[in-house]
Amino acid sequence: MKREFERTIEALDEIFRSVDEFTAEEAIDDDGAFAVKLAIEELFTNMVRHNTGGRDHIAIRLEREGDRLVLNLTDFDVESFDASDIGAVDVRRPLSEREVGGLGVHLVRKLFDELSYQYIDGTLCVTAVKHIGRKDVQDTTG
Amino acid sequence: MFKIQRAENGDVVLSGRLDASQADAATAVFSTVTESCTVDFTDLEYISSMGLGVLLATQKRLNEKGHGLRLVNLSPHLSDLFRLAGFNLLFDIE
Repeated sequence: MKREFERTIEALDEIFRSVDEFTAEEAIDDDGAFAVKLAIEELFTNMVRHNTGGRDHIAIRLEREGDRLVLNLTDFDVESFDASDIGAVDVRRPLSEREVGGLGVHLVRKLFDELSYQYIDGTLCVTAVKHIGRKDVQDTTG
Repeated sequence: MFKIQRAENGDVVLSGRLDASQADAATAVFSTVTESCTVDFTDLEYISSMGLGVLLATQKRLNEKGHGLRLVNLSPHLSDLFRLAGFNLLFDIE
């Protein structure tokens, strides 16, 4: 899957349809598909909300490379980006001390094995990698 | 497609996909909850951090008055996600 999507939260419907087609073609099971959808939504919506000066479209690439799912989101003409403390959430804090926001990247870090940010000359590229085992791939042999 | 409604007994019933584009709709209904309440997840397939934020904001508001949400019938996917978010420590989950 390699497409560009309009920089708007309303693009999520179209994104999810594309992910459904990809996970069906690659026989990724429900757990893997759920993780991919969540990661794409969290990373995409962060770009929509925080990189407001960026181009009209955000590029999403999702590929299976052997036993790895590789997700890549690229946002162009981003003014600046600070990756420090992204996803740093202490989920053991009591209710009164919990912040309502900030959970998205924390969850991506938990569901994926690698998450990295690269910012060069106004282009922000976020890459997430999930190792998929037998439990993530449906048995289509039976 | 996401749906949220209050049942006759006051329960909040969720179905479909609660993503960032539906968070305002969820907030509108949860803002009507003023005391302890059950939230039925039987037909909810998906939730992201925006949906979790709506639940957390509601729980914080209710907790200040000694009330809280009771979350029931979560799928295994959602149960895992709620645990990763630490929500098992903040909500009554059955």
